[in-house]
Amino acid sequence: MYFSIVANGRPPTADDTATAFALPVPEVEECYRRLHEAHALVLHPDSVDIRFANPFCFAPTPHRVKAGGRTWTGTCAWDALGIPAALHTDGKIDSECACCREPVGLRLEDGDLVEGADLLVHILVPARRWWDDIGFT
Amino acid sequence: MVFLRSEEHLVRWLDANGWEPGATLTAAKMNEVSRAWWESRLDPGWRPRTTQESQAILDSAGLTDDFWQLG
Repeated sequence: MYFSIVANGRPPTADDTATAFALPVPEVEECYRRLHEAHALVLHPDSVDIRFANPFCFAPTPHRVKAGGRTWTGTCAWDALGIPAALHTDGKIDSECACCREPVGLRLEDGDLVEGADLLVHILVPARRWWDDIGFT
Repeated sequence: MVFLRSEEHLVRWLDANGWEPGATLTAAKMNEVSRAWWESRLDPGWRPRTTQESQAILDSAGLTDDFWQLG
């Protein structure tokens, strides 16, 4: 799934995966649901469309990440920083301050933040409750 | 998990939403944790981490207090 995401810039639909592996679509849909239940990915509500394949996000957020020749969306501040890490490449993050909505920029080179290192990241939810509502976390 | 420009903006954001503070890291520290968390995600041999393995990443970054306990 992740190789498909990196190659195509979007997650594979259940139809895509069924075709690729010559499997019945309902069987693949059930696999997607099991991956969701195991927190390996997050589906849109009442759907088998992929919302998060962390650190990649396929729903709107303020976190735009330029890395590896594409512009990605990060699920959150943590995951925005994780996209260049996962791709093993430099990256630029265009996001916003959660308070004033003014743009903030971060730039990564060789794994280090060379711009934006003094910005703050705030995590509201304690770690043991992250998956209670992963969209809010 | 959001970016904020300063401590002042953090306090204002929490007050505006009526939220209790959680944990605050510099983006540099967050990057250190995020890199350790995600850098192997696309490796061909990737497999889901155990809770203990994930906890070890947080521990090694010095995030050891109760807020950071996964289980």
